[in-house]
Amino acid sequence: MTARILVVDDDTAIAEMVGIVLRGEGFDPHFSFDGPAAIEAFASVKPDLVLLDLMLPGMDGIEVCTRIRETSGTPIIMLTAKSDSTDVVRGLESGADDYVVKPFNPKELVARIRTRLRPAAQSTVERLPIGDLVIDVTGHEVTRDGVPIALTPLEFDLLLALAMKPNQVFTREMLLEQVWGYQYKADTRLVNVHVQRLRAKVELDADNPRIVMTVRGVGYRAGTAR
Amino acid sequence: MLTFTWRSLVQRVRRLWRSSLQLRTVAITVLLSTVAVTIISGYMSISIATNLYEARKNQALAEARQATVSVQELFDSSVSANGTIDVEAVNRTAQTRIRSVASSPGGTEFAILRTPGQTTEVTMTPGRTRNLDESVISDELKEKVGQDDGQLYTQAVTLGASTGRPDPGLVVGGVFEVPTAGQYELYLVYNVRDVQQTLDFVQQTLVIGSLLLVGTIGLVTYFVTRLTIGPVRIAAETAEKLAEGELDRRIPERGEDIIATLARSFNRMADSLQRQITQLAALSRVQQRFVSDVSHELRTPLTTIRLAGDVLYEQRDQFSPTTARTAELLHAQVDRFESMLADLLEMSRYDAGAVDIDAEPTNLVRLVEESLDAIRPLADEKGSELRLVAPGGYFEADVDARRIRRILQNLLGNAVDHGEGRPIVVHVDSDATAVAIAVRDYGVGMDAAQLERVFDRFWRADPSRQRTTGGTGLGLAIATEDAQLHGGSLDVWSQPGEGSCFRLTLPRERGTTVHHSPVDLPPAEPLDTVDGGEGDG
Repeated sequence: MTARILVVDDDTAIAEMVGIVLRGEGFDPHFSFDGPAAIEAFASVKPDLVLLDLMLPGMDGIEVCTRIRETSGTPIIMLTAKSDSTDVVRGLESGADDYVVKPFNPKELVARIRTRLRPAAQSTVERLPIGDLVIDVTGHEVTRDGVPIALTPLEFDLLLALAMKPNQVFTREMLLEQVWGYQYKADTRLVNVHVQRLRAKVELDADNPRIVMTVRGVGYRAGTAR
Repeated sequence: MLTFTWRSLVQRVRRLWRSSLQLRTVAITVLLSTVAVTIISGYMSISIATNLYEARKNQALAEARQATVSVQELFDSSVSANGTIDVEAVNRTAQTRIRSVASSPGGTEFAILRTPGQTTEVTMTPGRTRNLDESVISDELKEKVGQDDGQLYTQAVTLGASTGRPDPGLVVGGVFEVPTAGQYELYLVYNVRDVQQTLDFVQQTLVIGSLLLVGTIGLVTYFVTRLTIGPVRIAAETAEKLAEGELDRRIPERGEDIIATLARSFNRMADSLQRQITQLAALSRVQQRFVSDVSHELRTPLTTIRLAGDVLYEQRDQFSPTTARTAELLHAQVDRFESMLADLLEMSRYDAGAVDIDAEPTNLVRLVEESLDAIRPLADEKGSELRLVAPGGYFEADVDARRIRRILQNLLGNAVDHGEGRPIVVHVDSDATAVAIAVRDYGVGMDAAQLERVFDRFWRADPSRQRTTGGTGLGLAIATEDAQLHGGSLDVWSQPGEGSCFRLTLPRERGTTVHHSPVDLPPAEPLDTVDGGEGDG
């Protein structure tokens, strides 16, 4: 099946060029050039992934991201001109799964897209416990006491990665490799922000986490199964 | 415990002394005026005492002279015509007369003693008043008086020493001749308690007066210094607040005096400072805005160029050789353009002060190993062996791994470029407060003139030299900024023909700065070189 990708960028040249690259890799690109159009296109196209420029006329990328996340867990990759700025963190906090800094090369972009579109890690067991939660691996569902918790695919992957090796302490770099597919050093803020977002959804008390535990100076590990 | 509190008290007083100009002024004034007042009242006290004593002594002498003369006259006139005299009868009359003459306040006692060592036909009974303790008349005085040179002698004595209430006294002695009975001595003993009492009173008054005076001076000094130091203190506080960034702070301007002038000029200075700082802040904002705009505006077309170039580059096999080479050149130069743009933007971010660091505990040896792995293909190409010397210890440090990695890549890239294919040794060591990484190559090295410029922007050691790491000339400048951002430093050592060594020193804790380094520059040649080779790739 051809994956539909919604490309949101106000610069038509970039949008067209990205489209050429994506078609060359066998994707099906759709385009929007401003925020409101992106929201509409998202509803009509139902893309498998969104490439979202942060600086948009009308409605900025952060808001588009927030609006999409209100209804959907569809992977969002930000296209940003600045790697250092707080915009990246704000974008991640508003729900973007990953980001690519302009100018990027085609391979990098395609690698990021493929990682987000690939199925979650294969597990031999169907159900995994983590803390007081149960992960239904095949059903892609996380429940607490039978009540499902809505997670984005990325958050699900992150939780699953931790749960599959409950005794392992994961460094941020290991998580970047397993969940985000980075083979080389990447921005650890990705991990920090998404752990925060995940905690906000799964922890009963976000200040005193029981599911995703911090190992100071090292990284994270799964909370003890109950 | 006691010594501790004592010491802390001393320290507190010392600190107060150092910190309070007012306290010092008042204390010094009080001390100096105490000394002056003590000297003055001491002088007054002594001079009054001398005068009082002299006056009393003169009075006593006059009385004694009168008494002696009167007694002598009495005896002389009592000699009958036939030359006989009832010595004892005259003696009694004489004593009565002495009593009447010597009637000074405080009571006067007297004694009539026979000068020893005389042989006469008659002796008169020595007499004395009942209350007189004869021991107060000393032998020296008796001896002087007994010389009979017609003078009166005085001596200061203590009366009633045995009774427990001693009084100052004065003994005046003179001689008179008793017809037929020879020479007798008349001693008048005066109690001068009244003089002492007057003196005591005067001294008491002086002491109380002096204390009051010193107290008044202290108080006056306190108020005067408060009056003058108060505005200075306000100025100091205002300056402090200004320095802390409260640029709106001003000193109230009142009156026309020197303090008001100080306040006015201070406020003018603050106005000008505020104006300039505001201006600079505005400039800095413009700069940051500019950086941000350039970042976006330049990168957007560059992104398209980059994508297009890469797409062409990927398909170069299908092109004619000329077009293929063109695609290659485009690809390489876009890469170069991009890294230069990135470096420039990074540099202008530093210039705008718009950088913050994202620190977390990081194992620097691991970081170095990763950087070595990253540079290894290039080093292999040049024939340089990469070695890591890490003696062990505390390697964790609170750093921004991304920035440190960037510094390392830059230093290692330079080492490979200038290393002449000889080994490159990376030393990592640390102590309780600092971590240091030194990258040593044994290549061409630099001379003194080159060393001076090595951290300058856009400077290259040898422009003709072929570079493999595509440097922009900003690498070391950025590395220096990154090091300083961490509170650390980047130092260099180099000798032509012997190679170079760049040493990065970082504090282990954020917010501290280091002034020493755990690694020498250049580092000592390793004894136990750890091969950072293929094993950990």
